[in-house]
Formats: sequence, structure tokens, C-alpha cells
Amino acid sequence: MLNYSIKRLLYFIPTLFLISIITFFISINAPGDPVETMLNRSQDERQTDKLIQENSYVELRHNLGLDLPVFYFSITSAASCDTLYKISNLSHRSILERMAFTYGNWKDIACYYQTIKKLEFSLPKRAINLKYLVNSLYNEYDSSRIGPIIANLCDSLKSNNCTETTTQLCLELKSSFIEVLKNQKNYMQFIPAIHWYGFKNQYHHWLKKFICGDFGISYQDKRPVSSVIWDAFGWTLTLSLLSMLIAYLVAIPLGVISAVEKDSLKEKSITSILFMLYSLPNFWIATLTVVFLCGGDWFSWFPSPGADWPDTSAPIQEWVPAMIYRLTLPLLCWTYSSLAFISRQMRGGMLNVLGQDYIRTARAKGMSETRVVWKHAFRNSLLPVITLFANVFPLAITGSFVIEYIFSIPGMGKLTLEAFQARNYPVIFTVMMFTAILTLAGNLIADILYAFTDPRISFTQKRL
Amino acid sequence: MAGNKITKFRKNKLAVYSARFILVMIVVALLADILANEKPIICRYKGNIYFPVFRSYLVDATILTWPSDFQNAEWTLLSYDWVLFPPVPYLPQNIDKNNMHSVSPFAKQKISSSHWKHWMGTDELGHDVLSAMIHGTRIALLVGLVSMSIAGFIGIVLGSLAGYYGDQRLKITRAEALINPVFLFLALFYAFGTRNYVLKDALSISFSHFLIQLFISLLIIITVLFTGYKISKLAGKLSFLKNKVNIPTDLIISRFIEVMISIPTLFLIISIVAIAKPSLLLVMTIIGLTTWTGIARFIRAELLRIRSLEYIEAAHALGYSERRIIVRHAIPNALSAVLIAIAFGIASAILIESTLSFLGIGVPPETLTWGSLLSEARQSPSAWWMAVFPGLAIFLTISVYNLVGEGLSDGLDPKLRK
Repeated sequence: MLNYSIKRLLYFIPTLFLISIITFFISINAPGDPVETMLNRSQDERQTDKLIQENSYVELRHNLGLDLPVFYFSITSAASCDTLYKISNLSHRSILERMAFTYGNWKDIACYYQTIKKLEFSLPKRAINLKYLVNSLYNEYDSSRIGPIIANLCDSLKSNNCTETTTQLCLELKSSFIEVLKNQKNYMQFIPAIHWYGFKNQYHHWLKKFICGDFGISYQDKRPVSSVIWDAFGWTLTLSLLSMLIAYLVAIPLGVISAVEKDSLKEKSITSILFMLYSLPNFWIATLTVVFLCGGDWFSWFPSPGADWPDTSAPIQEWVPAMIYRLTLPLLCWTYSSLAFISRQMRGGMLNVLGQDYIRTARAKGMSETRVVWKHAFRNSLLPVITLFANVFPLAITGSFVIEYIFSIPGMGKLTLEAFQARNYPVIFTVMMFTAILTLAGNLIADILYAFTDPRISFTQKRL
Repeated sequence: MAGNKITKFRKNKLAVYSARFILVMIVVALLADILANEKPIICRYKGNIYFPVFRSYLVDATILTWPSDFQNAEWTLLSYDWVLFPPVPYLPQNIDKNNMHSVSPFAKQKISSSHWKHWMGTDELGHDVLSAMIHGTRIALLVGLVSMSIAGFIGIVLGSLAGYYGDQRLKITRAEALINPVFLFLALFYAFGTRNYVLKDALSISFSHFLIQLFISLLIIITVLFTGYKISKLAGKLSFLKNKVNIPTDLIISRFIEVMISIPTLFLIISIVAIAKPSLLLVMTIIGLTTWTGIARFIRAELLRIRSLEYIEAAHALGYSERRIIVRHAIPNALSAVLIAIAFGIASAILIESTLSFLGIGVPPETLTWGSLLSEARQSPSAWWMAVFPGLAIFLTISVYNLVGEGLSDGLDPKLRK
């Protein structure tokens, strides 16, 4: 038993590791530049000197740890450059990566890039037209478009009477580009190359921070993600525990009754109602209750979802009833589907147990039916249903999504949706990691509980 | 045995009615253009007979063109000699300017005759709800079909490998164990590494372009893997590389399934969709890629049972190849289990899709699905018809598939057979 638990715990680690890699790589590919997003919010004056802007960008990028390689190693083609992550500007980086990939001679391309940079800073301040041309070079990787731009640039330089150095740089640019074309090695992209970067990488730092409880800073309100999530998690946890409690209290008797009185009219109606509840999408029921019961054109029995929340600083006898009143509908919609699921499981387990030999023996001994059902059968069928808790609990947290959205409850689901709409990636990916961990932990606990409650399940036996 | 299963299924009346209901839905989905369309089915115009609904297919395929009178025509306003309109004479995207701002099905509608009635009312912008519902059937069924084809393929392949080979049975030569992974790496490198930019460019055009390029990548993978396989066969004849090693297939695949199960599907979809362009095909693909685990577990359990049956042993004794035994003998026997998993899988795929479009995630806003129709009820709470009809359609579809799944498992589960 202990062996089994330890083995399961050991399996837990690589699974978690894999999930963290998946989450990390989805988050890396999120569109937009996180550095830019954070800068724009904190700094209104965009018109400051370009050099200062660039410096603050590089500084923030360094502080966020984004100037490190992405992962422990990279598998690329031999054409790509393995130190590309050092270039701070995101769009420059992707263009250079593409150029390196296409032409396969990083050294010449680096030289070309440096020349563009030098040229950009040597340009006179007034020459907007020239600056535009140089900037457009940063966004081109195709030689058929770069060539004309450089030619155009050289012509415009002549007509603008620029300094000697600028003209010199332009010629240098031209020759460096010709060099790129001359030395291109197209075949390089077909040769795979593996680079090892060691532990100084973004993933390692991200994971280390995550384990220490630092999940980054929410783009929306600049608060740490952990405190944003903590607030929301309180709501979701309370609600899902409540709904689980209700679900178990109702589902277990229902399941037992429908198993004991099998094939009776009562059982049939209970089973079909439960089946219906099971397939009723909860967002439909929630929408229906909002439309019909929350003060639309029909009945206003319950407060509408947009109403204010009761003030929790008021005396407890005042806000608790208001809160219960407010939460009745969401809880109902939240509960009924897991209720149906649990009682169907309970019915199945109970039916299974009632068919066993020892129940027949108990009946043959002349035991009363109530005693047989509640004392002998019920206990045995209850344990697996209780272990279901571990499985249903993470489901309850993700299942809260729509309910929270419809009834505007400030929990995890609503938080994630808002983060999604605002493209607030740190929040999205932290929530995703958390849910995955909860699901994993739930599965783990369920499996271990199963093994404890049913000694017939032997996990140490060798697989066939 | 098969006949027995079918009779058992037939006895379950609810399941039979559900199966019929699915058939009706398929017919509605196929005939959606004829059932709900702004164009007439058949009309006589200036002495000529036209079939505008059918003609529009040919025009889309650039075989025919419209006569000049029909180009950008307001179909309802043309003066026909005689005309037969579809039962619902609206397209989901048509805006009825006389009946804007959510007109109830029971309210007085500003229409010329009862044929133009909006049987399920209109929404805020004046779209006909019934027409949107009919065309939404297509999307709902398509979601089930596409995502379950993907899930079914992955699930059957991985599940049957895990179930049939278990942990002990897959023994390959050292040559194969060494050479095949190298070629797998090369295959992935040439398919995705070198074609990285081709794929990215295609994705920025549209998802269907991306799928074409992805298909080419898959061809590259297959070619490289096949070459590797042949080379490893040749190398396996050398004395050192001849020795056999055991591959714990079941362990590897079961672990993989466990990882997939612990990733919350809805969250994964939301985070992928957050970084990609909204597209129905993308949503269907992700649903398929994340829900195959149920099918894989089903078929794994089934094959674990089947592989120890006598007829498989007999097939071994006859000297059939492993591949032939798996594909021709073991999997067909397990297909009934797969059917059950697929029926439940379709129900959950439709539920996930409608949840997503209800939340406005992943499906582009111009695509009207049942879920997005239902979400309009949130904006106008007095329009009860917007809440009732699309939700009812989702509910019916999901429960019908669940009922068929139940019926199948009752019919196929040997424990319940009396």
C-alpha cells in the first residue's frame, strides 16, 4: 500500500513537469510583447528620446528575465543563430531569425544588422523620410524587397546632402547586404543543430519562481497574480465546497432509493429525471433562471446578476441572509449536474453490492430489509462514492466558469474570462497551472483512497 | 452475437428514438440551405424557370453565373411569375428591417403574409432565429463529426497499441530501437523545423491553408519514418543489432493518457484560443486533440481482454503478422466499445463548443451557433425565445447522443445481458 502511494507520488512529478512545459510554451507563444505591455502602462510619455526608451526597455527586459534563452536546450537548424535571444527588440529578433534561417550565414547578417543600427543613429534628426526608409529595413527579410529599399536610400541620401559618414555607412550597408547574398548557404536549414544553454534560462526561472509562489504581475491592475488569484479562489472554493456538500446530501439518498426500489415507478422517474439533469447544460439553465426569475419581464423572485453584492462589513445577521438569497440560484445551477453524476454512481455501486452473495446471506438470516440496506450494503457502496469527491472537486472548479460568468460572481472562472478578454497572460497561465495541479492531486488522492477502501484492488501486482 | 446486440439495442425504445432523432438532425443539417434560405427553391421569372438555391452552389463553384437581374438582388422584392420559397425564407445573416429589436414569436410581426412569419422570433438586429437554428444544426453536427474523427483516430491507434502489446509483448530488435527514434527526430525536424515559416505563413492566411501545409508535413513525416523503418530492418540483420529489447508500450501510453486527462480541456482551449485567431476548425481540432483519452482508455481495456481470447492465439498460430492481427481481428471486435465512447464523446464535444461560443471564445463572431444565439439572451433578458430555443436544441442534441451511448452500452455490456 505504502509502496503504491509512493509510486503514484513519483509519477506525479514528471506529469506535473510536462504540464508546466506545455503551459510555459503556450505562454511564450502568446502574441504581443510582455515588456512593451508593461512599459506602456507605466510610462505615458511616448515621445521621449528613442535612446532612453530603448534603455528602459532593455532594463525591464533584463529584470523580467526575458533576455535569457527560453529553455535548457534548443533544437534548431544549423542556419539559426544560438545567441539570438540577446537581441532585445522583439520584431527585430523575429526578422533576423527568419533571415538567418533563409540565408544560413548569421555572421554576415549580424554585420548587416549592425550597419543598419549605425546608420539609423547617424541620420540627421529632421530627415523623417530617411528614417522611415531605414526603419522599413528592420521589417524586411526578403532580398527582393531589401535591395530596392537600399537603392532608394542611397539616392535619397545624395539629394538630402548628408554628412560624409552617413553616406559612407550607406555604402557599407549596401556592400554588407551584397555580402549576405553572396555567402548564403541555403543547405544549412536542412541540418539539425542542438544547443545546450544550461540552467540560466527562462523556463527554469519561471518554474523556480512558480514553486516559490511568485506568479508574476497581472497586466490589468499591476497587482501580483498570487493576490488576484487568492481573492478569486476564496469565492470559488467556498461555493464549490457548498455545492459539493449539497450534492452529496441529496444524491446519496436518491441513489440508494433508486437502487433499492429498482424497476418501480419511483425509481424510473428518479432515474429519468437524473438523466435529464445530467444532460442539461448548466449555462442554459442558468440563462433561463436569469431570464425568467431574476426580474426580467416575468418574475423577480431573485436579485438580478448585475445587482450589488451585500456589504460584508455590515453586522453578520444582515449580510448573511442577503448573501444566501443572492447565491441560491448560482448554487442550484452549480450543484445539479454533479448531483446527478454522484447519485448515478451511487445507484450503480449500490446495485452492484446488492447483487453480492453476502447480501443474500443477510436476507436469508431473516434480517430486516432496512438493516440489510443501510447497515450492510450502504456502507460498502458509500466508500467509492466518497472517493469520487477527489475527482469531482477539480471539475467543480473548472465547471464554475459559466455560472460565475452568468451570475457575475468574482471567482476564478470570471477572473480567467476577464483575463482572457484583456489578454492578461500571467493570470491565464497561472490559473491553468493551478487547475492542472488540482486535477492531478484529485486523481492521485482518488486512486490512493480507492486502494485504501477496497483491499481487493491490488496495485502491486505485475501488469500482464 | 451481433444480432443479439442489435435486438438488445432495439428493445431500448428511448435509444431507438434518439437514433432516429439524430437521423432527422442529419437530414436538417444536409438540407439546411433548402429549409432556410432567402432564395427561392424554384421560380419562373420573365418566362424562364430557375432553381436559385441549387444554382447558388454552381455559382460558388464558378461553373455558372447569375443572370444580371439576380445579381445582388433583393430576392423577396423581385416580381416573379410564380415562385416557391423555402419553408423558412430567411438566411441567418439576413436582417429583417421591419422586425428589428427582438420581436417575440407571439407578438404582432410586421410581415406581408404568414409565410414570412418569424416562428421563433427575431434577435436584436432582426435576424430570424429559426433560420439561425437550422443552420446551427450543421455546426453542431460538424463539431461532433470532426472532433470525434480526430479523437477516434488517435484514441484507437494509441489505445489498441497499449492494450494489445501491454508491457511485455512488444519486442523489437536493437537496430529498430536505435534507428527509429533518430528518424522520428529527423521526420519531425524536416516536417516542422525546416517548414516552420511555411506553416506560420499559411496560418496567417487562414486555418485551411495551414491544414494543407500540415498535410504536406505529415507526408514528409510518413516518408522519413518509412525510410527509417526499412533501414532499421536491414540493420537488424547485423549480429550486434539483432538482439531484442522490450518496449513497455502500455506504461508509456497510459502515462501519456494520464497527463492528457489532468490538463483541464476548457482551460487548454481557452489559452490556445487566446493566442490564435478565432476559427471553428481550430476549436474542433483542439477538442479532438484533447478528448481522445476516453476512447483510448475504452479500447485499451477492451483489447486487454480480447488479446487473451483463443481466436487471437489461433491467428498467431496461423502465422499472421502482428499488424494483421491487430487491424483485422482485434480492433473490429473492440469497435462496439469505441462506438459507445464516441457517442458520449460527441455529446461532450458539442457541449464544449456551445459553452465556448456562449462565452464568445474561439468561434468567430460572425458564425452563428446555438451557443452564440443563447448568449444573446444575456444582452436582452426580455427576449425569452432567445434563451429557450437554442438551449433546448443543445440540450436535446446532448441528451440524444447520451441516450444512444447508454443504449449501446446496455446492449453491449455482457454483465447486463440476461
